[in-house]
Amino acid sequence: MSEVLEIKARGVTKGRAAGVALVADATLSFWGEVDPVTGRVIAVGHPLEGQSLKGRVLVIRSTKGSSATPMVLSLAQLEGTAPVAFVNLEVDSLAALGSIVNRIPMVTDLERNPFEVIRTGDQVEVDADCGVVRVRYTD
Amino acid sequence: MELTPEQRATLEGARGPFLAQCMRWLVEWGEVMGARRLIPVANTHVLLPVPNLMARGASPRTIETYVGGLKEACRHRIAPGCYCTVHTLFLTLDELDVPENAPDQVRLQREVSELATLAGFINTFTCVPYLVGNVPLKGQICAWTESSAVVYANSILGARTTRHGNESALAASLLGVVPEFGVLLDENRKGTLRVEVSAQLSSPADWGALGYFAGKLAGLGIPVFNGVRRPTQEEAKQLCAALATSGGVSMCHIVGATPEAPTLGAAFHGEAPAEFVVFTDHTLRQTYASLRNFTGEEIDTVILGCPHASLREIAETAELLRGRRVAAGVRLWVDTARGIRAYADQIGYTAIIEKAGARILCDTCPTNMRMAAQRIVTNGFKQAHYARGMLGAEVIVAETSACVRAAIAGRWLGDE
Repeated sequence: MSEVLEIKARGVTKGRAAGVALVADATLSFWGEVDPVTGRVIAVGHPLEGQSLKGRVLVIRSTKGSSATPMVLSLAQLEGTAPVAFVNLEVDSLAALGSIVNRIPMVTDLERNPFEVIRTGDQVEVDADCGVVRVRYTD
Repeated sequence: MELTPEQRATLEGARGPFLAQCMRWLVEWGEVMGARRLIPVANTHVLLPVPNLMARGASPRTIETYVGGLKEACRHRIAPGCYCTVHTLFLTLDELDVPENAPDQVRLQREVSELATLAGFINTFTCVPYLVGNVPLKGQICAWTESSAVVYANSILGARTTRHGNESALAASLLGVVPEFGVLLDENRKGTLRVEVSAQLSSPADWGALGYFAGKLAGLGIPVFNGVRRPTQEEAKQLCAALATSGGVSMCHIVGATPEAPTLGAAFHGEAPAEFVVFTDHTLRQTYASLRNFTGEEIDTVILGCPHASLREIAETAELLRGRRVAAGVRLWVDTARGIRAYADQIGYTAIIEKAGARILCDTCPTNMRMAAQRIVTNGFKQAHYARGMLGAEVIVAETSACVRAAIAGRWLGDE
């Protein structure tokens, strides 16, 4: 059985995408903390250390750190290891730029706290055009 | 966002597809960040790196496509009247003993660098443009990459730049405009987090610790440091770099020291919040300890100069190394800009440093290359933070003289 939760959100970068959620109430720099060749988080001690971003809906607090975040995202996109969508609590200008340049949908300002209602492994659909996030819970 | 007829025409392709794409990036970026218009930009600093991924197994097509984009950009001229600097990496990589890196890296980077010069960019070869002549004035609208330099420009110089990526800074350089949002506007330059400093800060690395601590708490906000003396240029450099490592900070205020914070109230544009966090001597020690993950005493690498070393830091390093010798099997690299290196050559610091078995490295830094390093001692919190993941190394961050003592001894001797 599956149940769908629909959450209103503000579309930042337009587009729609779906994937398996990867969730951490944490910040992330793409340069220096993500390897674009493998798509994995390499930051030591980060809650997502070792996890692959490839094809995932990345649910984090915000990006931080290096200004090369859009570049690393572009390289990951070319290598086929980039996330398919972003759900961010706050919008860092670098995540916004990276998602625009690479046409990766991004939403923020969810009506529910994403860290309470989205778990790693949930199937998530991000519709930044309509401002909706759909979370499919499966048992 | 409201565009002028000329801006709209560029967006619709009147100046060709590449500039149309640049305009699209700036307009869409501005719209999502809440900008209402594009405003003239006086000064840009762009990173034009050939990604160091060849030796890591990236597909040749990835490098070709990305570098192709940089070359395409450099076929256009920078906007008239805009002072545009770039930082290219790796040009001296072939002089170093790091065979782990692909030699093609250097060839491609040289091509991009030459094209950038033809486009009108001035190559600074550094992450610290403000130490080699790109020093924007208070209030000047800029478009800078290099997260550490962004914080320095806003906080220490009082210039105004949002956190740019290569793409937006390139677009701004070619089009001469930036979307007006964030810290470009007065109302977004007020403090969001009050940090009372009771710790005794006695070195640039200590200021790095303060930044590393506060950046994590500030997130995308603006920390205000109170109760602390005026930093030196090198201390400010470390503070700014660390703030943009643990956080996504665009600027900070230091009460009584930085241009927009004559008083605590002024830093918050009115009333200072009653709530604050305290940075004590204990917090300082804890912050150093939080990054240290050494499992033994032996070291193989000492890195000074993240962000790139100033001439004064090179002078200090030369003094510490005069008549001494770096231990066999240990590399001590001082990373700096070519312009600063040229002074060091002329004055004689380079000779002293090289006689001791250490090197002055230009253009780049170890986190932008592949190298075998297991145990690194560094005076930069930013370097230490990223080296753990990017180089898979164990790190210790310490003030400069402790780093140099470790290099001479070949092992970590402690801070004192």
